[in-house]
This record gives sequence, structure tokens and C-alpha cells, in this order.
Amino acid sequence: MSANQAVDAGGLVDRAIDGIGRAAAWLTLGMAATMCIVVALRYLLDAGAIWLQESVVYMHAAALLLGLPYALRHDAHVRVDVLYARFSSRTRALVDCLGATALLMPVAATMVATSYGYVFDSWRVLEGSPEVGGLPAVFLLKTLLPVSAVLLFVQAAATALRNWRRLRDGVGPGASGSGRSSPSG
Amino acid sequence: MLELLPLALFGAVVLGLVAGYAVAPTLAGVALLFAFGGAAFGVFDLRDLGFLPNRLFGIVTNPTLVAVPLFVLMGVTLERSRIAEGLLESLAALLGGVRGGLGLAVTAVGMLLAASTGIVGATVVTMGLLALPTMLRQGYDPKLAAGAICATGTLGQIIPPSIALVLLGDVLSSAYQQAQLAQGVFSPRTVSVGDLFAGALLPGVALVGLYLAYIAVAAALRPERAPARREAADGTPLEIAPLLRSLAPPLALIALVLGSILAGYATPTEAAGVGAGGALLLAAGRRALNLGGLREICTATLKTTSMVFFILIGASVFSLVFRGYGGDELVRDLFDAMPGGVWGATAIVMLVVFCLGFILDFIEITYVVVPIVAPLLLAMGLDPVWLGVLFAVNLQTSFLTPPFGFALFYLRGVAPPQVATVDVYRGVLPFVGLQVLLMVVLVAAPQLATWLPGVLY
Repeated sequence: MSANQAVDAGGLVDRAIDGIGRAAAWLTLGMAATMCIVVALRYLLDAGAIWLQESVVYMHAAALLLGLPYALRHDAHVRVDVLYARFSSRTRALVDCLGATALLMPVAATMVATSYGYVFDSWRVLEGSPEVGGLPAVFLLKTLLPVSAVLLFVQAAATALRNWRRLRDGVGPGASGSGRSSPSG
Repeated sequence: MLELLPLALFGAVVLGLVAGYAVAPTLAGVALLFAFGGAAFGVFDLRDLGFLPNRLFGIVTNPTLVAVPLFVLMGVTLERSRIAEGLLESLAALLGGVRGGLGLAVTAVGMLLAASTGIVGATVVTMGLLALPTMLRQGYDPKLAAGAICATGTLGQIIPPSIALVLLGDVLSSAYQQAQLAQGVFSPRTVSVGDLFAGALLPGVALVGLYLAYIAVAAALRPERAPARREAADGTPLEIAPLLRSLAPPLALIALVLGSILAGYATPTEAAGVGAGGALLLAAGRRALNLGGLREICTATLKTTSMVFFILIGASVFSLVFRGYGGDELVRDLFDAMPGGVWGATAIVMLVVFCLGFILDFIEITYVVVPIVAPLLLAMGLDPVWLGVLFAVNLQTSFLTPPFGFALFYLRGVAPPQVATVDVYRGVLPFVGLQVLLMVVLVAAPQLATWLPGVLY
């Protein structure tokens, strides 16, 4: 793969992660709306629906799992920046490149590797809710674990590649690619 | 040598964090590197990692934690639609030309929020989004502003109804029974979550009083750190009616959320959902909401929520490996070797729990450490409510202490760039001092915690 193709692939990853994140974000609104309906049903009509309550948990889990790579892309994950804030842009790129390859990518790979059997078992019995009247889709929800981990891995690889290129080319400020710390972009 | 590996793991995580990579993947990644390295030398069983998917699924579907994104959504909505800003400024205006009035208002609003969420991450993040920009705009010293917000945010730990106290009450009640059975008491007395709520109420209120007093004194001694509102300082009479109009709706919303939880009508998650819905309605009512704004509110909520949960996931991976290496046994051995009777034991337990609070969250500590140490301490004759409150205040202090306190990470995640991390660290130090003062008072006068439950139950 040539350097230009690698850049294009990185751009594609960014766009895909952004699209998924923006779509998942609406789930938080759905959670609030559904929760209001649940409360209204219970306290006004004295009625309840397990599946409606479970749908809030489903939206919650789906939103945050799909949001993990999105938050990573936008550098929303917090860091101890006592030293980091004083590092040169090259050193920052080195920290981010090493962190992505040596820490985040193994974490994501381990999540995929360990959850494979866990999710497979769930699919084999088409695992549903332990509650009567609950949503019959626990196997789909569990599938989001490896899906999220794969997206995290891909985003980590794109971040590592970008920072490695910056290290190699010695490109100027804003090397870590943070939306907040680099006003220009 | 081998039994010291958990300490080496701890040290490696600290190094990784100081190098500046993101907290959550550092916790999980360093732990995994240790696991793989240990497996290569045959000293770590990789099958331990098989528990991982179930634990992660448990974290992301924990019904209690569903309240987190809902409270964040409520906070982001109030902030983006400038309702919260109005609420804070109205409260500050109500406090007149008092220097530090905004700081006092923030502490009061933050206490309400902390009490209603009971979740440190959500409260610090919400207050950081809500109050920090307002305080900075009014010319507050970033150190004082950041310190007040972090400290107020951790109040969710101690002021009932706190989720932390519910978990702690659950663990302590079984530890208390265990301790009495070990002493041959076969009709043991019990301790309930309600006891712990009642026990934590007075210390929590006392802590808020200390915070308020500190801010008032700081503002009086160094007015430039906490300037008064200019209009009020000019002596312009305040318009009461518009003030009430801006104050009433958001205050009613917070009162509704808090009141329904305190009165037992709603779970925190339900109250959070209604609170978020109500905040969106208030914003829409003020015509402060369009589709683009709504999209921004949702993406901001998602990023913050994912950030909080990634830390929970990272801490969970870390504790899995830490325990796989026998870290908890190492800790238990250390406790066994402690000198000085019941007070020496308590002091060392509290010190260790304080340090563990840097890397493990409340749930991990409550379910990993407390079951090991609490039966020992209770068998030595300590009061379970007192011990629980001391645990809660101690962990709250730990979450607030630089450089690894969780509350500081959470605030750092949402603070504007002009607030340096060093400012946050130096700003919380006086509040850490107040926390320590409260712990000293609790030790000297245990009645502060034990009196109210005795009267109520």
C-alpha cells in the first residue's frame, strides 16, 4: 500500500467513524424520550412494559459502544497532561503513536478475541431477555461488543499511521490531531 | 519476587499515565501487556481474561449506570441553551454584591446536582460544562473555579441518595453479619442502606458548609480571585421579577428530579430521563433549540458518556489482571501484618483504600477491598455506619487528590483549554484539606455519623 492510499484509507476510516458516531448520538435523545414515556405510563396510567424499559438499556449500551471509537477520533478521552502539554509536537506524536499501537490496539484485539466465543454462544441459542416480556435480542446487543472493538482497532490503526507519518515527516504543530487543541482543524 | 508483580503493574500504569496517553486504554493496555508477558513466562493464566466480555457487557448494561448519559444530556442541554448559565447567574445575583457569590451559587447548585446524580463522573462533567465557563467569564481565578467544581462534584459520593452508599451498604451488611458470626453472636444485629444514608447526611451537610466557608473566606481575603458581579457592585437595584422568571423553571426542574428521588417516587435513572426531557422542553420553550443545536447536544453527550464508560472498562480490565496476579492477596497480607491494634489497622486500611482510589473506581473498591477488610475491622468493635461513612469520605478525598483523582480527569476532559491542568491540581488542594479535616472530626467525634441513624431507626 502506497503512502497516498494509506492517507485515503485513513480519511475513509474517519468519515465512517464520524457517520456511525453521529447516528449513535441520536440514541441518547431516544433514551430520554423513552424514559419519559416509561415514567408517564407507570405513574399516570399505572401500566408498565418490560420491553420498553429494556429498550432504554439497549439504546444506552449501543450508543456508548458505538461512541467509543468516535470519542477516540475526537480525542475526547481524558489524559494526564502534566508532561504531555509541555512535550514538542514530535514527542506528542510519538506518545500517541506508541499508545495506539502498544496499548489500544492490543486492548481492542483482546476484546475481539475474548468476546468471540461469548457472542457465538449467545447467537447459538438466540439469547433473549431473562425477563418475561423483555426484548428477545440480547444476542444482537452482545454482538456490539466485538463490533465496537473492531471499530476501535481500525480507528487506533488510523491514528497510529497518522502520527507515524507526522513523526517521519516532522510536520509542525497539532501533531496529535486533536479537534480541541488545534484550532485550525 | 513474583508476588510483587502487582506492585510493578501499578508502577507501570502510573508511568504510562504520566507519559500522557489516554487514561482508559493505558489502564487496560498496560494490564494486558503484563498479562501476556506473564503468560509467556507461565506465571499468569490467560484464561482469566475469559471473564472479560461478561464483565464489559455487565458494565455497559448496568441499569444503574444508564442514569449517566441521561444526566449528561440534561446538563449539556441546560448548558447549550444557556438556561443553566442563567440559573447560576441568577443565583449569584440573588446573593447580591457578595464577593464570591457565584462560587457559593455554584457550590449550592453543584450540591443539588451531586445529590441527584450520585455519580462523580456525571456531576463533575455536568458542572464543568455548566459552571466553569461562566465563572471564568466573570473573572474568577481558574484555580478556585476548578477546585470548587471538582470538590462539589465528588459530593455525589457522600450526600444521599448516593449510589456509592447503596453499594457500600450492601457489602457492609454482609461483612457485619460475618464479623458477628465469627465472634459467636448468632442473632446478629444488621446494618442497612437506610442506616448508611442517615449516617452520611450530617457529615455531607457539614462538608458543604466547610466548602462554602472556604469560598467565602477566600473571596474576602483575595477579592480578585472571586470578583463580585459588576452591576451589583455599582449599587444598581436588582430587578426581582425577571430574576424570578429565569430562576423558577430550572430550579423547579432540579427540585422535581431531586425531590422525586428523595421522596422515593422515582429511581435515579427515571428521574434523570424526565430531567433530560424537561431540560429539552425548557430549551425548546425559549426557542434556543434547532436541529443543528440538537445534533450538537447529542454528539457532545455521546462523547462524554463514552469517555466515562471507557474509563470504567479500562479499570475493569486492570483489576482483572491485578487480581489474576494475586494483587488482592498481597493487599490482604499487608493488612494482616499491620501493627497498632484497631486504630493502626483502620489507619492503614484507609491509607491503602485512599491509594487504590487513584486507579480503581468506587465499585471495584467496594466489591474487592471492603469484603476483605471490613469483617476484620468490624470484629475489632468498630461501628459499621461510622466505618461506611469514613470509607465514603476517604474515597471521595481520593477521587479529588492530584495527580490521579478521577474527578480531576473528568473535569480535565471538559475544561476549556485556558485552564491548565496545574491550575486544577492547585485549586483542589484546599478542598482536599477540608476533606481531611472532616475525617479527623469523624474520628474524634463518631457521633457526627452515628447520632442520626440512632434517632431515626
